[in-house]
Amino acid sequence: MNLLAFAARRLAGAAVLLVLLSAAVFAATAVLPGDAVSAVAGVDASEAQRAEVRAGLGLDRPAAERYADWAAGAVRGDLGNGFVGERPVTDVLATRLPNSLLLAGLTLAVTAPLAALLGLWTGLRGGGADRVVSTSAQILAAVPEFVVAALLVAVLAVWLEVLPRVSVIPLGGTPLDAPHALVLPVLTLSAVGLAVATRLLRASVADAAATPYCEAARLNGVRGVRLAVRHILPNAAGPAVQALTLTTGALVGSAVVVENVFDYPGIGRELQLAVAARDVPMVQGIATALVAVMLVVLLLGDICARLLGAREGDDR
Amino acid sequence: MTTVLTPPRRRGRPVRPGTPGHRRPPLFTGAATLLVLLLALLGPLAAPHSPTAQLAAPFQQPDGQFLLGTDVLGRDVASRVLGGGRTIVLTALAGTAAAGAVGMTAGVLAAMASRRLGDLLVRCVDALAVLPALLVVLVLAAGFPGSAAALVAAVALATAPFSTRVLRAAADTVLNSGYVEAALARGDTRRAVLRHDVLPNIAGPALMDTALRLVASLHLTATAGFLGLGQGGAAPDWGRMVSENVPGATLAATPFLAPALLLVLLSVCVGLLAGRLADTVGRGTA
Amino acid sequence: MSRQIDRRAFLRRGAAGAAALAVGPGLLAACSTDGTDSARKPGSGSSHRSGGTLRAAFVGGGASETLDFFNGPSALDLVRARAWHGTLGNLDPSGPDGVRYGVLKGIDISDDLSAYTLHVRPGVRFTDGSELTSADILHSLSGLAAKSKLPVYRLAAANFDLARARAEGDLKVVLPTLRPIADGRLILCQGNFLVVKDGTRDFREGMPSCGPFRLTEFAAGQGSAFERYDDHYGHVPHLDGLELRSIADSTARAGALTGGEIDFAHDLSPVTARTLADDAKAELAPTKSPYLVGLSFQLNMSAKPFDDPRVREAFKLAVDREAMVKTVFYGNAEIGNDLPSIGFPDYADGIPQRAHDPERARELLQEAGADGMKVRLTTGPETPGMVETATLFVEDLKKIGVRASVRELPAGQLYADFPAYSALPLAGSYQMPIPALSTYQMNTAGGSPSAFGWKKSGTDALVARARAESDQARAKKLGTRAQRTRWEEGNQVLPVFKPNLNARAKGVDGIPDDLFEQFPGFSRASLA
Repeated sequence: MNLLAFAARRLAGAAVLLVLLSAAVFAATAVLPGDAVSAVAGVDASEAQRAEVRAGLGLDRPAAERYADWAAGAVRGDLGNGFVGERPVTDVLATRLPNSLLLAGLTLAVTAPLAALLGLWTGLRGGGADRVVSTSAQILAAVPEFVVAALLVAVLAVWLEVLPRVSVIPLGGTPLDAPHALVLPVLTLSAVGLAVATRLLRASVADAAATPYCEAARLNGVRGVRLAVRHILPNAAGPAVQALTLTTGALVGSAVVVENVFDYPGIGRELQLAVAARDVPMVQGIATALVAVMLVVLLLGDICARLLGAREGDDR
Repeated sequence: MTTVLTPPRRRGRPVRPGTPGHRRPPLFTGAATLLVLLLALLGPLAAPHSPTAQLAAPFQQPDGQFLLGTDVLGRDVASRVLGGGRTIVLTALAGTAAAGAVGMTAGVLAAMASRRLGDLLVRCVDALAVLPALLVVLVLAAGFPGSAAALVAAVALATAPFSTRVLRAAADTVLNSGYVEAALARGDTRRAVLRHDVLPNIAGPALMDTALRLVASLHLTATAGFLGLGQGGAAPDWGRMVSENVPGATLAATPFLAPALLLVLLSVCVGLLAGRLADTVGRGTA
Repeated sequence: MSRQIDRRAFLRRGAAGAAALAVGPGLLAACSTDGTDSARKPGSGSSHRSGGTLRAAFVGGGASETLDFFNGPSALDLVRARAWHGTLGNLDPSGPDGVRYGVLKGIDISDDLSAYTLHVRPGVRFTDGSELTSADILHSLSGLAAKSKLPVYRLAAANFDLARARAEGDLKVVLPTLRPIADGRLILCQGNFLVVKDGTRDFREGMPSCGPFRLTEFAAGQGSAFERYDDHYGHVPHLDGLELRSIADSTARAGALTGGEIDFAHDLSPVTARTLADDAKAELAPTKSPYLVGLSFQLNMSAKPFDDPRVREAFKLAVDREAMVKTVFYGNAEIGNDLPSIGFPDYADGIPQRAHDPERARELLQEAGADGMKVRLTTGPETPGMVETATLFVEDLKKIGVRASVRELPAGQLYADFPAYSALPLAGSYQMPIPALSTYQMNTAGGSPSAFGWKKSGTDALVARARAESDQARAKKLGTRAQRTRWEEGNQVLPVFKPNLNARAKGVDGIPDDLFEQFPGFSRASLA
């Protein structure tokens, strides 16, 4: 199957999945007890006022009808307006999603090369260095993100005062306008990401090194960098790339802890706020966008893996 | 009968002698893990004070009466630390067990079923992996606030897809090995093959996978506590204690450091154990 | 961290209030109102340095913040609008009518208390050069505020017939009341009624305004920037510019303040505020009475055992109020007397302070046969200190033999399922600073669901009479009688009033002079 057909097939599958998952998220928000009326009308609203607000938000209509409406709009690129503040969901996505993508991208940029180096080194060398790096990676991977964040803040921001405590970004600018504000969030995410990625790569490298093909190369006297680059990497890269993409995709939506601690303007906290307010269009829009991002990242990962010549029949 | 045969190994041989596969069994890590787990589970019994009662001024420095000082509400940090691990560990264990059960069933079924059906099954479970774990936790916590069961379900939903994938791969390897084919050719039923060949041989990967999932579950549970999505209220919880006391870190460090360190220690031990198990089983730690 | 998250909706909830200072509910039924505030006009001769840009940080509302303050629920949406638009007036104890008028010259009340006449201050100019007229006020009040879903604007709609308001000429708006009230000025002039130009539908940068500052930039969830409006009708600000930032986390706001990235941090958590106490660069500036938030516990009278007044009294006697003020707020709070709205003129300050008497509480429970009762208190981190106070309350209850426990919901969840909330046996909540009698009418009278089973038509009638009473002394007496029944038989335990714990960089001054302290204004602020 050529690459184009492969991509097209995957794209179609992803689209179906997107529809299914958006319906699932909608169903979940519809089934949950409580609604956005209190967030909009306030706690002290009377029954009549509540009913009025409920009707105003369209919450008195059947869930299926609301979903159909939403889906019809979504196809045209209109994700509706949030219940709270009435901002168009697409506006919120347009301002916040790029920030989250930037954070995930930078984390990937820091993590991937380092992890590749460490993974290759430890996977091939074995021995003491392997044990030290693997063990450190395991330890680092085991530290919860919020602990890493708290410790980094305590040391770098409060104690040594070398970095700002919060990501105060110039008005109207992007996080790139205040690069120093990006350091702590990226560092926190990278610490955990690096550990996980190194372990994954090390495993793939060790697997690849044990294949008869590499054995043969080694017997033929291929050694060191040449062995690593020409023989091991192409074989180990497939699964490693897929694992990395999965992690990166998850980063986009799940960096909420980092966003909270450093006040980084990402999409995760918007999601948290929207869920707390039962702001259905906002939750729905953000969740769908995150799922879409995840699917695209996975697709890219698949294509990369395929280009790198991943094993046949590996379906991810 | 068939169990007499040498169990198949996924990898032909280790990369080099001295690397994974030839290490001692992880006695030390195992013992340390057991110790932290015991501390978390039995700690509440050893607490010198009530973990919820306000006993003194907030953020008092450690002294004879309060070994680790007092927290944001003037409660005994030592007692809270001793009491704060149980919920996390139990929730994470329950979540892992649920995820493991789902993963095991789905993984083995997928491997045993026809290729098409198996793919479909894995794809369904994969769909879950695409949902951000945070979304699942947030929505469930919003719908069933303060419910431990919701948290367990969220943890299970978020981690099950990975288990399924790993276990299907493991079961596949066993099924495609020559000796299972031989057993099937000999006329053993699929059920017998499942019982005598597949399950015993994927027990290792399953155990390792479970340990890895446990680390993820611990993280998710502690993070939920940190974000105020867990059980909440006065009950001590390491994750929550960190978020409660971190604003006062400059007034007193122990109320935030003690639970943070224990949390790290617990997940590091479980993580290391998982890694060592993986090595012993002879699989990469994917 | 996320525990602050839903406070974006918090302050706004009670903006409706912040009302009456010195003047009782009945003063001056009809009086002359000419602009007697010339003494407060441009204060260029002050000792403060003029100029500079002040940067202030608030919780904010994430990317759903909006310039349309009639639809934006976060406190910051209102603070931003206060800097940008002219106001009808603010409450001011030293003002002639108990208010300091903004774009108005004054308000006349008809003798039968059935209509209020708003007199426009002549010569107020929008930034586009046009003059403000009655049409603009009418549009803002009956076109926009009346349609707003926000609780802030509901108090006015509950008292005035906004739909039937009409303009008389360019400088007069007549506003009929729904029932006779004597304290309507305090409802209209509480800072949140801001005026935009007639015909305004959507709110955007560059639209004409007449506030002390003009908006130059706005990024939702990040912040907004302003420059001084030199033709401002009243007091031209000292500052050259203003920057309002959103920083959701309390420690992060404090960190930005001590790091010199901002000059003013709004609403810190008690612990964060405590850590600033030793900081050389910052000082605490808590809001003063009556801008205090009451933390309260509602006992559900429609269920056993709280239908028994003895059980309710026992719960009130069990609370160690001193300990709460000291432990949770480090002394930065006031003790409550189980009645809301401390510091407002209609607050019943003559009622004795309830004692802490666990012995008596135990006896009462035994008499009622409720000793050893089991109860679960439900609350959430909706305002700093709420959960902590609830935790201590539960410990106090354990001491009188109640098997109490606390259940904390994640941020934003407490009120999300309102029918479930109002059916709770014991709920921890909070009261915004709103005058005692109007808040009773809005939230408690007539068996409203947020009254948790309190239904006393006698008390309702007393409150209505007090509000329609022009004689101040008589109004106060009626109001006190009504509140006494709440104090004796009521189902609310209100142990603590806490301020907004704001902090500022040393040398920043003049913020409280803008009144309406919950939603600070910066028209009179100056930098060091």
